[in-house]
Amino acid sequence: MNPDTAKVWNEASSRANAAAHAQRRRVTIDPVTRLEGHGKIDIFLDDQGDVERAYLQIPELRGFEVFSLGRPAEDMPQITSRICGVCPTAHHMAATKALDDLYQVEPPPAARKIRELVYNTFMMEDHALHVYILGGPDFIVGPQAPPEQRNVVGVIEKVGIEVGRKVISMRRRLRELIAYFGGKVIHPVLGLPGGVSKGLKPEDLPPFQELAKDTLDFALFTLQVFKDIVLKNPDYVKLITSDTYTHRTYYMGLVDAHNQVNFYDGLVRVVDPNGREYAKFPARQYRDFVAEHVEPWSYVKFCFLKPLGWHGFEEGPQSSVYAVAPLARLNVTEGMPTPLAQKAYEEFFNTLGGKPVHHTLANHWARVVEMICAAERMVGLLNDPEIVSANLRVIPTAKPAVGVGVVEAPRGTLYHHYETDGRGLITKANLIVATQNNAARIAMSVEKAAKGLIKKGSVSEGLLNMVEMAFRAYDPCFGCATHSLPGHLPLCVSIFDRERNLLRQLVQPVSLKPGGRAEARAAGKR
Amino acid sequence: MEVSLPQVLPGKAPPRKKPVLVLGLGNDILCDDAVGLKVAREIRQHLSDSDGIEVQETAEMGLSLLDYIVGFEDLVLVDAVQTRQAPPGFLHEFDDGELQVLPIVSPHFLGVGETVALARQLGLPVPRRIKIFAVEVKDPFTVGVCLTPPLRRVLRSIASRVLAAARQLAGDRIWLPSY
Repeated sequence: MNPDTAKVWNEASSRANAAAHAQRRRVTIDPVTRLEGHGKIDIFLDDQGDVERAYLQIPELRGFEVFSLGRPAEDMPQITSRICGVCPTAHHMAATKALDDLYQVEPPPAARKIRELVYNTFMMEDHALHVYILGGPDFIVGPQAPPEQRNVVGVIEKVGIEVGRKVISMRRRLRELIAYFGGKVIHPVLGLPGGVSKGLKPEDLPPFQELAKDTLDFALFTLQVFKDIVLKNPDYVKLITSDTYTHRTYYMGLVDAHNQVNFYDGLVRVVDPNGREYAKFPARQYRDFVAEHVEPWSYVKFCFLKPLGWHGFEEGPQSSVYAVAPLARLNVTEGMPTPLAQKAYEEFFNTLGGKPVHHTLANHWARVVEMICAAERMVGLLNDPEIVSANLRVIPTAKPAVGVGVVEAPRGTLYHHYETDGRGLITKANLIVATQNNAARIAMSVEKAAKGLIKKGSVSEGLLNMVEMAFRAYDPCFGCATHSLPGHLPLCVSIFDRERNLLRQLVQPVSLKPGGRAEARAAGKR
Repeated sequence: MEVSLPQVLPGKAPPRKKPVLVLGLGNDILCDDAVGLKVAREIRQHLSDSDGIEVQETAEMGLSLLDYIVGFEDLVLVDAVQTRQAPPGFLHEFDDGELQVLPIVSPHFLGVGETVALARQLGLPVPRRIKIFAVEVKDPFTVGVCLTPPLRRVLRSIASRVLAAARQLAGDRIWLPSY
């Protein structure tokens, strides 16, 4: 290279580096603070004081693959159920199904039905918890309610103490069913390659049948509560359907042979923003359809539809972003497998203007429709004579190599992918959890909410809540660290001007010590 | 960690053999996150039946805590915390009243304060006195079963402080008038 060329080259290179550096400086990802476990949102304003970009940081789990290497594949249902205190049953079941695939073994019908029963029970319990306790402050208490009422105590005041007791009691009984089969709710030991470890004794059947009936009543009651409190309030409906909380993306979810919702098994179906089928594939092909995009400002991997390529955080026809979770599941199906859920499903789409529904906040309603479906499945399975069969296991004989399992976790599609050596020891382990599938759309929701609420440098007081609502509807997992006080997810929103000076910071402080207020940055849990 | 689920129905307290519960919280395969569990295990070794103190461990949180705490008179919780405002191994100490019920519930989660507030609202017999120990941790995010060195060094001394607090609660009771 001659000196002149070298000079031009170097100048261009240093300009490019400076630009890249400036680009990076616009967002503050401190490699230390990113792991504090709180939701961290950075908002950057342009010259006019409007939002240029908003970024959401979510902490992530480290070292899972390294931890798994060399361990027997049969340990994975136990190990993976331990990494998350929220979805132990979902991880346990996805891992168990991956083992079926790894050993090429099909569980006997009774074993499959027991797995489905436990899984629908888990779905019901988790959804009920979200509807009443976690999402409740947004809709049951109301988005406009004073902050001091927007908590679980406010929810109980609104629905009544008796309903509160009913929620606690239902939850208790549903967990007893899971514990009957799995030994423990938090770390179940039910799934084995080719079957389950415990069956249902005929004499134990009646109380569970009673439970299933009560569960269905409770799910229908919940739909009524949702209608009375949310749907009869025009302001809530306006909020659900508002543009701020709407994205025209693809949707993904499991369907059965009739293209109906199935939480436990089936093919993965993807529909486009107009609701037309884009793809349908078995779990084993997930890598042909799901790819992960990395942004320089985040450690989160954003899933997108691989055949379409990454086109940025875009919605509409050019988008390759998809969503999972209750709303996505209703969008990808052609109906519900059970009659009362079907009725609720039809009402859902009739009210919201047909399929697909793109309103993120409609996830709360979709969750209630799914509660009815899960309860009806429980009733159906517990009245199936085969559920008490003692034929629970097919012993695997095939040599293991690769196994992929998929289930619909309450928060969306969950993939487990293991590879092993000939002795069944793990050589590779990959999980794609629901929040990763949803990550791009969550980022879009947060940015859109911020753009809608910050105009000309004026920051709305309700910002924190409205932005939180945008991602709470997805019920995202913020890292799988389940236990560090105070157990809250202190959301921290930082707003920067065009010179990247910090204008405002909105945080939820947590007092840790008498006399001194420490901002709690504990690991996000649950 | 093996714990059986106690039978709890709203308004009914399950029979508890001992008045004081020490409950260790944590995830046993997330490095320092397990410190609460390890403190509980350490304490268990130093207790006899006559102490009136039950020790349990759990990886659960939120509403699930009710299954463990309902029916006990006093509660000592041991958990991990990361404030980054104290060195790893530092023991934060606070009481029930200092736990705020946050105005906004976070995704998935119900804090200890909220869980107890909810239980009291529903008339469940939750412990009257709650003491919380939160161990400042270094790494609660890496999958693994070992504590980091700063925590390993202080595990025993933390356990003895927590045990002393539990014994004090148990001992106080003897002198409380029982009308």
